[in-house]
Amino acid sequence: MNVIKYELLKLRSKSRGWLGPILVFILIMVAFPLTVEISNKDLGQSFFSVLWIAMLLVMMLATEDIFLEDYNDGSLEQFAISNINMSYLVAAKIFIYWLLIGVPISILGSLFCLGITNSTHLAIHILPILLVTSYIFINVFSFGNALSLTKGSVLGTLVTLPLLLPLLIVLGKVVISINLNLNYLGFVGLLLGVLSIIIFIIPLIISYIIRAHLE
Amino acid sequence: MYPKVKATNLSYKINEKKLFQNISFELFSGSAIHIQGDNGSGKTTLLKIICGLTRQVKGNLELKLDKKVCFLGHKNALKQYLTVEENLSLLGVNDHPDLSKHLIQFGLNKSLDINLSSLSFGQQKKIALLRVFLNDSDLLVLDEPCVGLDQQSQEYLCTFINNELTLGKSILFSSHISLDINSEALNLSS
Repeated sequence: MNVIKYELLKLRSKSRGWLGPILVFILIMVAFPLTVEISNKDLGQSFFSVLWIAMLLVMMLATEDIFLEDYNDGSLEQFAISNINMSYLVAAKIFIYWLLIGVPISILGSLFCLGITNSTHLAIHILPILLVTSYIFINVFSFGNALSLTKGSVLGTLVTLPLLLPLLIVLGKVVISINLNLNYLGFVGLLLGVLSIIIFIIPLIISYIIRAHLE
Repeated sequence: MYPKVKATNLSYKINEKKLFQNISFELFSGSAIHIQGDNGSGKTTLLKIICGLTRQVKGNLELKLDKKVCFLGHKNALKQYLTVEENLSLLGVNDHPDLSKHLIQFGLNKSLDINLSSLSFGQQKKIALLRVFLNDSDLLVLDEPCVGLDQQSQEYLCTFINNELTLGKSILFSSHISLDINSEALNLSS
């Protein structure tokens, strides 16, 4: 529990770390309707593409130095020799990033959805999808950043980005299903299935990667 | 009596360059080893091997410890954007009964609400050293603990380490600064 408390204290104190990505997200979502000369109806159709891509980019940005700071200042060394399980630390870190960045962005995404599509039904149904998706994105980008911990975050991100392409296809199908009032719970189940696997596997893999970097 | 640390023929190399070869030693409870050597001789690497952060290329290392290792390396593991008090909380020593005694000794008792980035390098080192002063370990591993410290603080550290030895703790340290600590020398350069 202490690990979660301290990770929360660290990220909360570093406003650039959590507020920056949220502001970038707002900027993209506000700029989108300003930069296209199309009707409200067309705007609603292309809105979700922009929403998913904005979320993808912002999560990429948010996790840029998720482990780098702790690596540079020696905190990871201290964790490695302590009795605390490294994969637990990684999972806690990812959870805090999701809580302070993923959750607000998901709520904002749902609000933007309401503002642009004028559909309460869509805005309510998209919120859980956004919450699950943001958690998956943070996990996958954290894995990428751990891979390229000492080589810059871009390399790791580029390696992991293709892993998310199937997810983007599923997200497109979800929006179509919600729009056509079809049953989309199967897709939600799929997303939750993916999340329930990576939520355990990725922290474990990252902990091994970090130990390899420390050597 | 079993040694707390028993190293047998430890060797390490980086890209075929041998850092040290066949290093053997035993560290018993209540004793200290001062690891000496030129720059690049592998002092930090040896200390990291003992902490389990790096693996030796050859040789055997046995640790018989009841508690975790207390390690102070070149990096302080402190957060520049947090206050001294918040950093102490991260180190897990903010509630320790002896904390105020050491803070007064280091002249940091009135700096608790100051951001770490506002402190000098030496003052930051003193905060990092509190992890050592308030340790709950059998084995202290200190890599150049006196870098950045003033004379008074160096003497305070030496007195503390000598006192820890009388309490039965084992200490491994490297230092280019001559320290008044009851220890055996282990030279990696020879």
